[in-house]
Amino acid sequence: MTTTAPAPPQQTPVDWVRKNLFKNWWSGLISVILVPLIGYMAYRSLRFFFVTGQWDAVRVNLKLFMKGTFPNMQIWRLIAQMMIFALAFGIGVGTNSAASQDRAEDAGLGYERGSILQTLARMWSLVAFISLLLFFATTDDVGNFINPFLVVGGALVMAAIGYQAHRFPRRIRNVGWLLTATFLVIGFQVVSGFDAGGWVPLAIIFGGVAYGAVPVERFDSAWLRFALRLIAIAVVVLIVQAVYRAVDSPGIGWDKWSGLHLTLMVSAIAIVLAFPLGLLLALARRSTLPALRIMATVYIEVIRGVPLITLLFMGQFILGFLLPGGTVLSAITRAIAVMTLFSAAYIAEIVRGGLQALDKGQNEAGQALGMAPPPIMRRIILPQALTAVIPAMVGQFISLFKDSSLLSIIAILEFLGVRKIIHAQADFRSVAFAETLIFVAIGYWAFAFAMSRESQRLERRLRVTR
Amino acid sequence: MTTEHNPQIFSDATKAKGEAIIELTDVDKFFGDFQALADINMNVGLQEVIVVIGPSGSGKSTLIRCINRLEKHDRGRIVVDGIELSDDIKNIQEIRRETGMVFQSFNLFPHLTVIDNITLAPRQVRHESKKDAEDNAMALLERVGIPEQARKFPGQLSGGQQQRVAIARSLAMKPKVMLFDEPTSALDPEMIKEVLDVMIELAEGGMTMIVVTHEMGFARAVADRVVFMADGYIVEVGTPEHFFTNPQEERTKLFLSQIL
Ligand SMILES: Nc1ncnc2c1ncn2[C@@H]1O[C@H](COP(=O)(O)OP(=O)(O)OP(=O)(O)O)[C@@H](O)[C@H]1O
Ligand SMILES: [Mg+2]
Repeated sequence: MTTTAPAPPQQTPVDWVRKNLFKNWWSGLISVILVPLIGYMAYRSLRFFFVTGQWDAVRVNLKLFMKGTFPNMQIWRLIAQMMIFALAFGIGVGTNSAASQDRAEDAGLGYERGSILQTLARMWSLVAFISLLLFFATTDDVGNFINPFLVVGGALVMAAIGYQAHRFPRRIRNVGWLLTATFLVIGFQVVSGFDAGGWVPLAIIFGGVAYGAVPVERFDSAWLRFALRLIAIAVVVLIVQAVYRAVDSPGIGWDKWSGLHLTLMVSAIAIVLAFPLGLLLALARRSTLPALRIMATVYIEVIRGVPLITLLFMGQFILGFLLPGGTVLSAITRAIAVMTLFSAAYIAEIVRGGLQALDKGQNEAGQALGMAPPPIMRRIILPQALTAVIPAMVGQFISLFKDSSLLSIIAILEFLGVRKIIHAQADFRSVAFAETLIFVAIGYWAFAFAMSRESQRLERRLRVTR
Repeated sequence: MTTEHNPQIFSDATKAKGEAIIELTDVDKFFGDFQALADINMNVGLQEVIVVIGPSGSGKSTLIRCINRLEKHDRGRIVVDGIELSDDIKNIQEIRRETGMVFQSFNLFPHLTVIDNITLAPRQVRHESKKDAEDNAMALLERVGIPEQARKFPGQLSGGQQQRVAIARSLAMKPKVMLFDEPTSALDPEMIKEVLDVMIELAEGGMTMIVVTHEMGFARAVADRVVFMADGYIVEVGTPEHFFTNPQEERTKLFLSQIL
């Protein structure tokens, strides 16, 4: 290389303006009109944010936004929950990146394991939101609020500790996932309580592990394999049950939850419940049994034809008639049930789309190998179909998350509903509506945006292998 | 680790040549009103290699897809290794286990690594232990010449390599019969040979095979009989020798003149 290309002519600001704003007469005209307009609006917005806005309405009520009417004496539960979730998050991220690294190296691809800091940087919208909270919270003089820097700092430390799970040797990689799931359940139950009835989630998780872990392959008899698995599951379930019965420590039920905490929990619960239900509905809709197919189709089409808010109202007023007499469900339980049933119909359609889009040669290859339909579905069809619909699925989760704000209409004080309390306070009776709304909007956006970014990334990473 | 598996990798067939392992009697197949197979009568002996040729739409794929019930025949009898194909799902799966199939478009599972592609069915269907299944898979990859690709994903392999994985995947179920539906027609010319070589070795190892292909070199090298189909009928059957020197039917002559 001896010749060097002539250096590109330096672009001056004037050049930039000419090229981007005044390319020809009409773009010039538009610029002349728009630039001052946008400038003026930016000026007004900034002035509102930093000068005229009455952010006291947010600042003073920060704790209310976060936890709503959750009992003050029990705040330690929320903080403990945050720590445990942070730990679970760290373990999940660490395990996942180690697993990706294993896969990539096996396949002879390079892989750069990101640090936990990079993960946080990717979720900058959440980090920004938390910073915003801290900014407000540090000037909060409401008292008994544990230093928010300690809380957030503690959560970061927990996440960093959890992230060390990437050091687990490959042999026990799945332990990382098991720990993640276990801590998510425990974190949830730190608030909701470890009552005798709370054993179900962990029983499902450990039961599933037991099902997969029993070495039944060596036995030829299908009955024997089935029986061994059943026994393993039963043993595990009984152990979990016994532990819960021994602990039996009640917590704060979700009918007392509120604020952003309630919003996040309701969305997460509805997602966790709606996903398997939607999956089953999608499979039922493709079933060869007409009764099953028709029922699933009718359910899906009816639910999709009715607005969520209608269903939420119906849940409050009608669900009671459908249930056996005397059953009393809290408003939040009914709302969660409705959100789950509603989302399941949409998830079913998304999954069905993924199933339909899959090349039928995949099914045929499984059949030709002598595999029975259930393992073909489980091992060949679903993994591919679900991967293909990740963007649509996360989109559905994001709408569910945002739609949870409708609960404020049925008198549930979640993140948006908390405003009702605030604007009933003497200081903010009919002022600062915009300020509280903007704060809530930023909160929703921070979570929704982070979710959408993560889904894009997940999608990209899973595509690498095809 | 690998050698002890080798002798029986390509075939369980130990019985003598000539004994019928596949029998089709008066088989008809319709797609709606359209008759895709008409009056098919054909026997395939153990260790026999049959090459099926014919113009596009003549029913070649349909024929071999009926043998492992990817398509359901409407009339007649199909018997594979003594089991008659019926609606009984047990019978169907039994037959599919004994019948490997290789597709034109490979149909590998793109979300699984090569080795997982190969071990999936042995582990799910035959309940082999992970170790046994992987040892066997490695031995098979060795035989098809790509053991170093075991941990890659199908998308990272060339077409020829993918098709060889697909062959290994079928063989992992230790089938008695292998069905090939135009295994080389989706491949670039320079990769056709590597796949044909594997198939030739398979045939020489005594595997019973039905191969839909237009590779006349392959037919000449290993086919015991060539079957020419047109419009759903078997028009002519004979040795490769017969086909290339002395075809009887007008349609056969016309077809051969077009492809040779
Ligand atoms: N699922 C189906 N539904 C309707 N018609 C079909 C179906 N599958 C095949 N056919 C028809 O049956 C006839 C035979 O098809 P087949 O695929 O067996 O032909 P082929 O000999 O394999 O042709 P090619 O060389 O193009 O692969 C064709 O006319 C085809 O259009
Ligand atoms: Mg064909």
